Amino acid sequence: MTDFVNRDNTIPRDIIEEMRESYLNYSMSVIVSRALPDVRDGLKPVHRRILYGMSEIGSQWNRPYKKSARIVGDVMGKYHPHGDSSVYDALVRMAQDFSMRYELVDGQGNFGSVDGDNAAAMRYTESRMTKLSGEMLKDLEKNTVDWLPNFDETLKEPSVLPSVIPALLINGSEGIAVGMATKIPPHNLIEIINGLVELINDTNTTADELMKHIKGPDFPTAGLILGMDGLKQAYETGRGKIKMRARAHIENSKSGKGSIVVTELPYQVNKSNLVEKIADLVRNKKIVGISDLRDESDKDGIRVVIETKRDAVPEVILNQLYKHTQLQDTFGIILLALVNGVPKVMSLKEALERFIDFRHDVVVRRTKFELEEAEARAHILEGLKIALDNIDDVIVIIRSSKDATHAKEGLMNFNEALKESWYVIKRSGAQFIISYGSRKANSPRFFNSSSSIGIPFSLRIFCSSHPRSPGKRT
Amino acid sequence: MNQETTTKEYSAESIKVLEGLKAVRKRPAMYIGDVGKRGLHHLVYEVVDNSIDEAMAGHCTKITILFNDDGSVTVEDNGRGIPVGQHKIEKKPAVEVVMTMLHAGGKFDKDSYKVSGGLHGVGVSVVNALSQWLWVEIKREGKIYKQDYKTGVTQNKLKEVGKTKKTGTKVCFFPDDTIFKTTQFEYDIIADRLRELAYLNRGLEIVLKDIRNGEDKVESFKFKGGLSDFVKFLDEHNNPLHNKVVTVNKEEGTVPVDVALRYSNTYTENILTFVNNINTIEGGTHLSGFRSALTRAMNNHATKNNLIKAKKSEKINLSGEDFREGLTAILSVKVSEPQFEGQTKTKLGNGEVKGFVDKIVYEGILDFLEENPSVGRRIIEKALLAARSRSAARKARELIRRKSALGGSSLPGKLADCSNKDPVFCEIYLVEGDSAGGSAKQGRDRRTQAILPLRGKVINSEKARIDKLLSNNEIQAMITALGAGFGGSDEDGGERAAGDFDIGKLRYHKVIIMTDADVDGSHIRTLLLTFFFRRMPELIHNGHLFLALPPLYRIYQSKKESYVYDDNERDLTIERMRKENKTVKIGVQRYKGLGEMNPEQLWDTTMDPEKRTLLEITIDDAARAAETFQNLMGHDVEARRTFIEQNAKFVVNLDI
Repeated sequence: MTDFVNRDNTIPRDIIEEMRESYLNYSMSVIVSRALPDVRDGLKPVHRRILYGMSEIGSQWNRPYKKSARIVGDVMGKYHPHGDSSVYDALVRMAQDFSMRYELVDGQGNFGSVDGDNAAAMRYTESRMTKLSGEMLKDLEKNTVDWLPNFDETLKEPSVLPSVIPALLINGSEGIAVGMATKIPPHNLIEIINGLVELINDTNTTADELMKHIKGPDFPTAGLILGMDGLKQAYETGRGKIKMRARAHIENSKSGKGSIVVTELPYQVNKSNLVEKIADLVRNKKIVGISDLRDESDKDGIRVVIETKRDAVPEVILNQLYKHTQLQDTFGIILLALVNGVPKVMSLKEALERFIDFRHDVVVRRTKFELEEAEARAHILEGLKIALDNIDDVIVIIRSSKDATHAKEGLMNFNEALKESWYVIKRSGAQFIISYGSRKANSPRFFNSSSSIGIPFSLRIFCSSHPRSPGKRT
Repeated sequence: MNQETTTKEYSAESIKVLEGLKAVRKRPAMYIGDVGKRGLHHLVYEVVDNSIDEAMAGHCTKITILFNDDGSVTVEDNGRGIPVGQHKIEKKPAVEVVMTMLHAGGKFDKDSYKVSGGLHGVGVSVVNALSQWLWVEIKREGKIYKQDYKTGVTQNKLKEVGKTKKTGTKVCFFPDDTIFKTTQFEYDIIADRLRELAYLNRGLEIVLKDIRNGEDKVESFKFKGGLSDFVKFLDEHNNPLHNKVVTVNKEEGTVPVDVALRYSNTYTENILTFVNNINTIEGGTHLSGFRSALTRAMNNHATKNNLIKAKKSEKINLSGEDFREGLTAILSVKVSEPQFEGQTKTKLGNGEVKGFVDKIVYEGILDFLEENPSVGRRIIEKALLAARSRSAARKARELIRRKSALGGSSLPGKLADCSNKDPVFCEIYLVEGDSAGGSAKQGRDRRTQAILPLRGKVINSEKARIDKLLSNNEIQAMITALGAGFGGSDEDGGERAAGDFDIGKLRYHKVIIMTDADVDGSHIRTLLLTFFFRRMPELIHNGHLFLALPPLYRIYQSKKESYVYDDNERDLTIERMRKENKTVKIGVQRYKGLGEMNPEQLWDTTMDPEKRTLLEITIDDAARAAETFQNLMGHDVEARRTFIEQNAKFVVNLDI
């Protein structure tokens, strides 16, 4: 059927196969490692990498700010092989008090505004972690989470942060993947923690009982939420729609003219677009009765003033504004996050349970790690105690050895020779004595007879050394 | 079973020998296309086609295909059974002649088989030649006969092994693994083709069983609705404009024509045409007949019922294109002596067919619309909408041309053209991003290689309406660079407008998509393929579209380095280097973007015609391809999610 011209360097490739394979690669990658947050730490990979990168270059909350460009460059070069703008945009959002209920980055400089102004370029701004994001990285060094190689397999990065705080729910998340999307509203930290406590105490807690603690989303821009049905549905099933409304009140001037004053906006509403939209409605006579419109927002907060005409009823106009503008907006909740790398829509309860399970896991791993450290340390101390009890023998052994290896062997044979069960100078203990002594003696020729002065010196050191002192071994 | 539908007895006399069976094993690609996956599956089709021919002649109602546990395939039908009588010239049983001699069969005269689909192939003897072993079992004239073959060579005489009242043929073969690169049959590929055949042969039952690897999968395809079920199947993810499928089924001048069509709320057309069950990808006379009939019938219906409502100032002229927007149609004709032309021999050339098809379809559609006026109204409304957007698109198109007229040169500014002007030698690289474009420009051979860098993600042609598509900068750049126009895949329908795609004007005979080896590169590749598949399908059908294959890794050990193209090769190379020199450290660099390479490296690995490997994009199954594009790139999110969920475990390259 096909007239086949076999050119030597071409391979036929069926378009269906190519499409399926390429599309699958793309869509799966977007789902599992780009657009969706992990249920455990509530972060997408780019955010996680930024936070980890910041902690790696010492940009903690109690240290001076670092130039954002340095952070972006570092994160990009080490962990995130994509464009600089994607990294910087993510960083900026984490520092915006109107985007995040609890900021994860402490920004210095212009980080944008509710009016949709962009942040200053990354060469101008400076950033560091907030106290809260410090909590998200706490115990990271204690083998609490799994580590993955970075893109060029030269470094390791955490697969998840051992976050103490339930970041997915308190800061929310939003992302469009392929074939699915997530939209999680932010919540109040204290409410969520109360809910978690309730759930830990009683695993059979129902959604209704949880909602006694977790009353609803807590948007950084404040505002009002109308109606509980959609919210309840969202908490029970993972999907539901809620209506958000701006907070507005009516001020009457002495002249009898009323004005609507908006002081809080619905989440993610761009103020300048809103004002423009109202102006449009007035111009097109969709809404009549507005005489003036001013944005009086300043350092003290948002204040949009809509003056009404003398014969208009401000309440009616406000209702019209709710209907036609983003003064009232819908937030379609989709509580979708990655659970063990697979996207899943969850109820509020399940999301909380997953977090509890994760924390349980982290605490167990941390405790194991600390126990191992303590045991390793106890090991050394036991060895030192034995050495101290037999200080004369130890000195003889070390002095008569020609180098560190022999000394170590000698010390280890020493307990065998005595065959006493409590004479246990284990491998690590012996090594410690040697290395500790030799480091302090600061001489490669320490074990040569001529420089025997090192020995009493080193022994003195470990005589005085108490459980606290060995310091970090490298 | 033995219906007297054919004119003459089908017996040993009707088997004619045109040529001996030779060289099939030596040059299998000549007979079955290639020795890869496609060729392998072709073996099954070849055997099934014989059974289908029996069905088309009215002697067979059920075909069973079985994937056996040992890797062989059994195809069984309840047709008349291949004749077993002695062949006069060859002095062998007729069945042995059929199985062992090339171009032997009952289809070379019109008498035994009125029409046949097997003509395109070379028959079951090729399957026999390319099988490690094969046996055939024939139930005929009250007896069961059996014969065995190995690599096409007869092992024993035709034996009588039993008695039966039934008739039929059973062929079981095991593909030769010394010839085929793979002998693993893929269930889905076979199932799709069988489904298509079941649709095309209304009422015929085709059963597919798979008992490999302890599985027990059985699927039965039988469609009482025939083509109209096919249309519904193709259309299932779209919103249909009307529920009832328009069907036409008549015979004119010994050419039976079967048509089913339906409109949906999409913007693309999806017309599949078949001649004797063969998918005629390139169309041909039957398609032109269908198109002109569709346009005439619809226009006629619209004027008669006064359905064209235009504003005063507007001049609306409904053309064929407008009636094909959102159209899903299947056209199946049976031609007794089809002539195939075109590059891939999938274009019908019989001139008389056009008139027959035109007449039947024109009358059939008009009748249907008279009986279903509401359907007609909706279709015309949709066509009017299409006409309006087409005129918007035309304006956009004119704008492109005018713009170029002002600029003097008609080529986009970003294009780095080649100096040779003969399209046969010229190739154009569509490169992802300016960073890679720079490397490619410096690394190319400027005599024959042109570079067009594309910025960012290209617009999705499956979703976007044509006027929006045309106002996109990257799309404009591609269209002008290729120089062959755009869309309107009309052939000889007489509707070709200036600016329609004309393969003769193509400025480069190799259009090579070169994207990064990361997941965003994959995405851009899918977007570009969508554009070409939907708007320049001839480019693909004529074999002008390619994918570049950049290396995934560079492996180096001091000054020695080599480029590898997959993970397996990487491990082998590292091992080899380690053996050669144990002391020096081996470094591995993973190329994520083309911009990571130096221009010379890019030339050496990906662009040098002497060394590079290109993947030539082919369309094996247009119906499946259209469905794939619809699911993956279309409006239906649900279909996409289902696809991802079902295939998540097959993902090859995950970017973490």
